[in-house]
Amino acid sequence: MHTASDLFVIELGAVVLVLAIVARLARRIGLPALPLYLLVGLALGDGGLVELPASTEFIEVGAEIGVILMLLMLGLEFSAHELIDNVRRSTLAGVVDLALNFPPGFVAGLLLGFDPIVAVLLGGVTYISSSGIVAKLVADLDRIGNHETPVILSVLVIEDLAMVLYLPIVSGVLFGGSLLSTTVTVTVSLIVVIAVLGAAYLFGDRLSAIALSQSSEALLLTLLGGTLLFAGIAGRLNLSTAVGAFVVGVALSGDIVSHARGLLLPLRNLFAAVFFVFFGLQVDIGLLPDVAVAAVVIAVVTIATKFATGWIGARRAAIGKPGRARAGAALIAHGEFSIVIAELGITRESDLGALAAAYVIILTLAGAVLYQYSDSITLRAPRGVDRRRWQGTSRLAKGQSKRRWSLTR
Amino acid sequence: MGKATETDLPGVGVRFDLETNAGRAVGVVVHQTGRRDLVIYDERDVDRACESVELTEDEGHTLGELLGGNPVLEHLDDVVHRLEDLVISWVKIDSKSSLAGLTLAEAGLRAQTGAGVMALVTDSGSIPIPGGADRLEAGATAVVVGVPVAVKAATKLLTQSG
Repeated sequence: MHTASDLFVIELGAVVLVLAIVARLARRIGLPALPLYLLVGLALGDGGLVELPASTEFIEVGAEIGVILMLLMLGLEFSAHELIDNVRRSTLAGVVDLALNFPPGFVAGLLLGFDPIVAVLLGGVTYISSSGIVAKLVADLDRIGNHETPVILSVLVIEDLAMVLYLPIVSGVLFGGSLLSTTVTVTVSLIVVIAVLGAAYLFGDRLSAIALSQSSEALLLTLLGGTLLFAGIAGRLNLSTAVGAFVVGVALSGDIVSHARGLLLPLRNLFAAVFFVFFGLQVDIGLLPDVAVAAVVIAVVTIATKFATGWIGARRAAIGKPGRARAGAALIAHGEFSIVIAELGITRESDLGALAAAYVIILTLAGAVLYQYSDSITLRAPRGVDRRRWQGTSRLAKGQSKRRWSLTR
Repeated sequence: MGKATETDLPGVGVRFDLETNAGRAVGVVVHQTGRRDLVIYDERDVDRACESVELTEDEGHTLGELLGGNPVLEHLDDVVHRLEDLVISWVKIDSKSSLAGLTLAEAGLRAQTGAGVMALVTDSGSIPIPGGADRLEAGATAVVVGVPVAVKAATKLLTQSG
């Protein structure tokens, strides 16, 4: 006998298997899987090749959990102390990043005739690089020890922190009512975010000690339950569930972090993939041709501005030209956050979804390729390389490394 | 020479760099997870790690021992090790200290503070378990042991005047 739940299981199994195939394919060709997940989502659902009548509802809920888990895991990477130290050290890089990469999306949004708030969302989409993809590229290519890597990581950290302020503001404006009530909501939510981050800074250790358990089952349930509850309340208050989950991750520190990472990683991988599929599902493929030109133009402009951001940051840290090129190329990949932001406005402006999907696919692929091959581009062309560095006398190198110190510490 | 510089890697750990006399640069990335990467920098592009060897925490310790040296003596400043409720601290004796130049018996450090001097490290050599006749020379390093309050008091006496 067929029941609705059989059909649901079959659909879900088929979707997850397709994701497994594209994940293998991505690995084989050395590219991030995220853009391929988006493509799978685009190919499915309304207007796509196959409809998913039975499992769409589950995928929608799974997508929500996916965002929460992505942000929780991201928050786990950092302690509150580390975040605050980093902001003090790298404010300038953060300002350059914002000044170069927010305006292209914002202006494009206005030119395309979007509402100002939707243009602000598109600015966010172009502003934020993908911490997940970039960090993975750096590790996969064995570039953690490179001198430009701290520059890259600092920019990513500042962007993630900027999201903690940005998401509550745009959610407040998007879902608020009159000007007055919106202002009140936004102000209250910002105060709450800052208070919670402050509390995480002061009491994170104690919270972590309470949550820690020897039983991995108990620990998993505690983490998942606590984070979902907190993120849900944050969403209710228009703070955005993503920010709520991120703050929980930041608050946890010490022994619990490594246990939590191990337990949550498989869940995160599953539900994050579901989130990207869900985003693709919501995009009407029919809109893609309309936004294709805009997506390519914005992509080309922001590849240049992101590259400039990394280049400038690395130059300030007294890093040579090949390193500057690597830092610039590393920051190009966009991903999860851009999609999270676009998701907020997809009901308001359906073009935004198609535009963001196309944009993220282009930038992620371009970023991954440019970062991998930036060395062969710069090192093969002595014209593009600082010749003194190329010859590399030790006296010069020593002087430069000292200068680097005084700047980065 | 031989001093390592340190850079934070947000979300990853810390990187230490060392430039050799011969002009090559090597580094160690200490991950938050305990993993270590031994990194060798390219001669043509000094910012690029051309070789990166992943080590576990234990392998890192073994390699450190093989490379020789007593790492403790290389960071004499501000190094404090904790053993249960005891603290061991490396204190450089300042010439301003009223105890500088006195023998241990004359200084009476243990009677005053409760902290004992476990060893004295000078340029000419080190004295393990010094006796009452050994001197607290200015510029030498005293290895002080005791409960935290006692070590703090002893450090103050050895580094500040009055």
